[in-house]
Amino acid sequence: MTDISRYHRQCLFQKIGEEGQKKIASSRITIVGCGALGTVLASTLVRAGVGFVRIVDRDFIELNNLQRQVIFSEEDIRDNLPKAVAAAKQLKKINSEVQIEAVVSDVNFTNVEKLIRDVNLVLDGTDNFETRFLLNDACVKLGKPWIYSAVVGCHGLTLSIVPGKTPCLRCVFESAPPPELTPTCDTAGIIAPASTVIASLAATEALKFLSGNEGDLNPTLYSYDVWTRETKSFHLEGLRDATDCPTCRHQRFEYLSGNLAPKTTTLCGRNAVQITRPDRITLDFKELESRLKKVGEVKSNSFMLQATTGGYEFTVFPDGRAIIKGTNDPAQAKVIYSKYIGV
Amino acid sequence: MIYLDNAATSFPKPKRVYERMDRFLREEAANPGRSGHRLSVGAESQIAQARNVIAKLFGVEHPERVIFTLNCTDSLNIAIKGVLREGDHAITTVLEHNSVLRPLHSLEANGKITLTKLRPNSDGFIHPNDVKAVMGPKTKLVAMTHASNVTGIVQPIREIGKLVRETESLFLVDAAQTAGVIPIHVESDFIDLLAFPGHKALYGPPGTGALCVGERAKLFPWREGGTGFDSESLLQPIRFPFALEGGTPNSVGIVGLKEGVEFILEEGMDKIRAHEQGLVKQLRSELKEIPSIRIYGTQDVSRSVAPVSFTVEGAEPQEVSLILDQSFDIASRAGLHCAPLMHRELKTFPQGTIRLSPGYFNTAGEIQTAVRAIREIRSQIAV
Ligand SMILES: Cc1ncc(COP(=O)(O)O)c(C=O)c1O
Ligand SMILES: [Zn+2]
Repeated sequence: MTDISRYHRQCLFQKIGEEGQKKIASSRITIVGCGALGTVLASTLVRAGVGFVRIVDRDFIELNNLQRQVIFSEEDIRDNLPKAVAAAKQLKKINSEVQIEAVVSDVNFTNVEKLIRDVNLVLDGTDNFETRFLLNDACVKLGKPWIYSAVVGCHGLTLSIVPGKTPCLRCVFESAPPPELTPTCDTAGIIAPASTVIASLAATEALKFLSGNEGDLNPTLYSYDVWTRETKSFHLEGLRDATDCPTCRHQRFEYLSGNLAPKTTTLCGRNAVQITRPDRITLDFKELESRLKKVGEVKSNSFMLQATTGGYEFTVFPDGRAIIKGTNDPAQAKVIYSKYIGV
Repeated sequence: MIYLDNAATSFPKPKRVYERMDRFLREEAANPGRSGHRLSVGAESQIAQARNVIAKLFGVEHPERVIFTLNCTDSLNIAIKGVLREGDHAITTVLEHNSVLRPLHSLEANGKITLTKLRPNSDGFIHPNDVKAVMGPKTKLVAMTHASNVTGIVQPIREIGKLVRETESLFLVDAAQTAGVIPIHVESDFIDLLAFPGHKALYGPPGTGALCVGERAKLFPWREGGTGFDSESLLQPIRFPFALEGGTPNSVGIVGLKEGVEFILEEGMDKIRAHEQGLVKQLRSELKEIPSIRIYGTQDVSRSVAPVSFTVEGAEPQEVSLILDQSFDIASRAGLHCAPLMHRELKTFPQGTIRLSPGYFNTAGEIQTAVRAIREIRSQIAV
């Protein structure tokens, strides 16, 4: 039987109270991605007593994750545990009352709806635009509120989205920005306080929503720099009506159709995967080269750019197509692509 | 775009193929032979005519022994799995496409058959005597390609067919790379089972293929179902083509294929072959001039068909192919081309080769442009 005393201090907080706590306990959430953001989200919300927490991540823990991904340990790496499994194992020790489901899988257009259909709220702990737009499509389609968060370097963004009421992610960002405008943690780095702060803000939004305080959700796209302490709140009033959003206005779920997903082809016998973007872009090789030089060896000519980093070797072509060597797994190749090249 | 991937599927198709398919699908595409109405009978007759032109092209005496399939892979599977039984021995070669290798290997792996794979001599040919040497009393099938889809080298199938014909064994030829460019006559070439795609040099659409079944071959059908007659019987009829053709056929595709074959008959296979040979000769001799490029196959173009495989020293075939596509708008193919053992033989495993395969609709100017592109790529990326 639930011992409400463990949530005593949370209940004392007047906005939540025992009523709010009961609502939290009967709520279900999905956290997509269990890295810097996802671990903080999961840890905070499991401790807070959310009834059911599904954690989805396909990756295994690496040593360079421990600097910011709280709850993982060196032992988890030795045991070669997937992130979702390690998180569930650890968090069950902290709060055995919460039902935790670990899903070791990438999130794609075939499974995203299933992963969020039976929950009240979705939290974004992902690291790329493609997955976020996919989440946005699925959440708008199924009417699930979700909280977007993104962090790189010392700076992050968060936005609470309630389909039908607030602008959606595609009202705000029409399409994924080009790779040169989307630094990733793997090329531009990240400091732990940035992800901790942003994830804490997102978890606060989750607590508001789940405790029956939906009216208190922050209506802005909030940006915070932990280094300079610069904050910005972008006001979004009227945006929903002003934009011709394919997702929430036209109910056209382009990412859910799978047509906007990059196409992958496994190259027989090569332990390599070719990735073809659905959009036509022209990569800025100079910019990409300077970005990748920080993490590995790079050489390029007018036809292609070759880089070696983290046990992978990849060749990128001007229209964004790439051959990723060192894996046969299309999902893994996509991860590498979004980490180092960007989507 | 310059399309040089005709060995995978021909593109474009003759105009009449598009037009005929469009008209057929709009106006005539009833279920052939299933119903007595005029449209159904008409569609049936179109398919019969397609059988007739194919029979004519390959010297098949009874057109009903031309079976329509999904592609060459389907034809090969119907043949291989329809013929081989527990305890049989089969012979094939390392030149083969996976559509021959995989069905045979799975039968071998399941302990059903024993399998011998022959290697070519240093010129790339399978020697008839080598076939003879491994034939035994249990040998039920000799299955081989007419021409490798990697090197383009044309094999001496008539000589091999002749010696197989002297035994109880059946001779299965994979004519994926030759049907439509090299004359094939099932009687004079001693072919019991001729498998080919409709979508390559016969100019039909993707999703078409055929298998010509000689009278020595007794095939078990593995796709059983509706034929539109004999419905009271719970067993597949033994009458051809129905024995091997259960289900509604790809009538639109078959009608397109018929148009493709008629295009060949009108144009003349000699003329088609001469044009392709000219392009292959040009391609081979111009590529040969480029340093650090290695060409496979034979320079004697009279003994080869369109696929020209090469590698660029210091460059991954996939990368070269991608650059050709993206910086020069040239469609090529790179890798193993589904023929892994051939690449082991050529010592190009596992990276494979870059393959350019000209077709009848390519021009000398296009070949020149392609060679120029390869020259430029090589000068930038090769070591
Ligand atoms: C020699 C050879 N055999 C079989 C095939 C398989 O043909 P299909 O794609 O029509 O099944 C091909 C085509 O790639 C081929 O080149
Ligand atoms: Zn929207």
